[in-house]
Amino acid sequence: MKPALLLQFTRQDLIDRHASSMLGAFWTFLLPLANILIFTLVFSNIMAIKLTDMGMDHLGRFGYSVYLVSALLAWNCFAGTLTRTTQVFQEKAPLIGKVHISLFSLPLYILLSETVIYLISMSFFMVFLLIIDFQWSIHWLWWPVIFAVQQLLAYAIGLGCAILGVFLRDIREVVTIVVQLWFWMTPIVYVITILPEKWLPMFQLNPYYHLIDALRTALLVGEAPAFWPLFSIAVIALLILFAALYVGRRLERDIRDFL
Amino acid sequence: MIDVKHLHKRFKLYTKPADRLKEILLRRPFHTNYHALNDVSFRVENGETLGILGQNGAGKSTLLKLLSGVLLPDAGEINIAGRVTGLLELGTGFDSALSGTHNIRTNGLLIGMTEQEIVEREQKIIEFSELGDFIHEPLRTYSSGMLMRLAFSIAIHADPRCFLIDEALSVGDGHFQQKCIKRIKQFRESGGSIIFVSHDLNAVKMICDRAIVLDQGEVVFQGSSEGAVNHYNQIMAKLDKQEARIAARVREENHYGTGEAMIRDASLTGSHSRSHVVSSGEQAELCVTFESTVELESVSLGFMIRDRFGQDIFGTNSCLLKREIPMQPGQRYQARFVLPMNIAVGKYTITLALHSDENHLERCYHWCDNYLQFEVAGSHVPLFSGITYIPTTLDIECQSEENTCT
Repeated sequence: MKPALLLQFTRQDLIDRHASSMLGAFWTFLLPLANILIFTLVFSNIMAIKLTDMGMDHLGRFGYSVYLVSALLAWNCFAGTLTRTTQVFQEKAPLIGKVHISLFSLPLYILLSETVIYLISMSFFMVFLLIIDFQWSIHWLWWPVIFAVQQLLAYAIGLGCAILGVFLRDIREVVTIVVQLWFWMTPIVYVITILPEKWLPMFQLNPYYHLIDALRTALLVGEAPAFWPLFSIAVIALLILFAALYVGRRLERDIRDFL
Repeated sequence: MIDVKHLHKRFKLYTKPADRLKEILLRRPFHTNYHALNDVSFRVENGETLGILGQNGAGKSTLLKLLSGVLLPDAGEINIAGRVTGLLELGTGFDSALSGTHNIRTNGLLIGMTEQEIVEREQKIIEFSELGDFIHEPLRTYSSGMLMRLAFSIAIHADPRCFLIDEALSVGDGHFQQKCIKRIKQFRESGGSIIFVSHDLNAVKMICDRAIVLDQGEVVFQGSSEGAVNHYNQIMAKLDKQEARIAARVREENHYGTGEAMIRDASLTGSHSRSHVVSSGEQAELCVTFESTVELESVSLGFMIRDRFGQDIFGTNSCLLKREIPMQPGQRYQARFVLPMNIAVGKYTITLALHSDENHLERCYHWCDNYLQFEVAGSHVPLFSGITYIPTTLDIECQSEENTCT
């Protein structure tokens, strides 16, 4: 797919869908801002959980807000990319049936648009961190790396599900439910230490647990995240992506026939 | 240039999409095959227009989809020099909430224009579409005609090397259509290839250099567009049985008369086309079979040609033609009217009548409204306007001072 077309799709997805509303493109910024405000302000007051165990008590009274929002924003982006990529062929079927368009790079616009929303949200979040006088560390440089691995994983799984979803419509619903479950199976709103120790090995199998852990270690604790989990997740994501592409190319004719 | 060689396309029909997966896993077929295209080959040179005819389900749309790359062939080759744009993707990706200019961008990118081309041609597109200030309004405020005009303008300015046109010429009003046809002709003169799919036989005859006829996925005719139209009509005539039944029922309901003499059968055939689609100016034969139950001294057999508005175009009868028809009981007769179809293109009906005198007022034996239908497409005579062709000759002489007419 040509970059110009990709950008146009992204733009449509981000801005143009608000075109008929009064505030227009502002909504692209307002929605993430509202999100941040709700989570930071509301939760700092209601949920005054101590995060001492996690080595994050230096965050002060906004500790939980920061803990929650840093992970939640990343998760929203991950889940959004995954679920929307899964549905992309159905959603764009009228288009695919009319012009020649690459099936496997088409969902890139979703990746891009979700990333932009994430970056907007993160910049608001960083403003918030500035206000509460947050201690920045050099390990923020890990952030783009961790984020890239996360999006790669989302895209790979999403594309695989999208291809299967052409033949098995139920996949869409299954993915929606699995993503919900996945959210609660990952320590995003809660702290891992509230769970019995024996459950820990099960959590180790969850790739997103490692990603969120790496993210928090880098951003909040201010240490370098563990390298190997990150690396192996990247490799797994790549394998899934290649498998999806392989199957996709073999079935491309059928996919186009079915759509 | 478009070069298609031995193209095959099979659709596997599954009862549900999941069966395709079962098939891969269990390695056992779960589908029935539908051969949409079977060994289709043709070639369209630069500057040439190829027409494609075929009834519904003959594989026309599949062929266009393969050519535009939306579907992939099972076997065979498609070689296309340069960018293809199809009018079948008219208005693809239009978003009704956005303004016309916005949509020019999206649609342009989708049909393969570069950003630079879009910026350069935007003004021309807006001018061509004649939308004026409406271009800045959201698309939902457009009439359907305006939408089509915009879509067509974008497509036509994409400047492809090959153009696929699918029944899209019925866009907008006559004025806009003429603009489009002019533009398409320019495109052809500049060396572009066109594939034109239509049911409008007249348009095929007028626009196409050559044509192919598809029937059940196979090329059954390849040659002149005139020949293709005739071939197509023969196929249609064979497959018209169901339609004939409906027509028969309509006939049943639309006839009356005293019944002493009855019209039994009738047909109209072009001397050249051998079908009920004739060209303007072509000789046509109207055969009517009729019989009577009693002895009649003299009956009059007449017909009336009406256009699609129900307007009488021409009618006459045997009495006016100074022919007497005495009838014996139980005897069948066949009348053969031969007439040049000097009428404009369009669809027509023929009403038949058997009556006693010059007109049906005295005694009407059998009157059949709209007994036959036929179509005039293409022309054997010079192009003309109006509903009828009046043979015209033209002499021009120079008139100078010395020899003025007296």
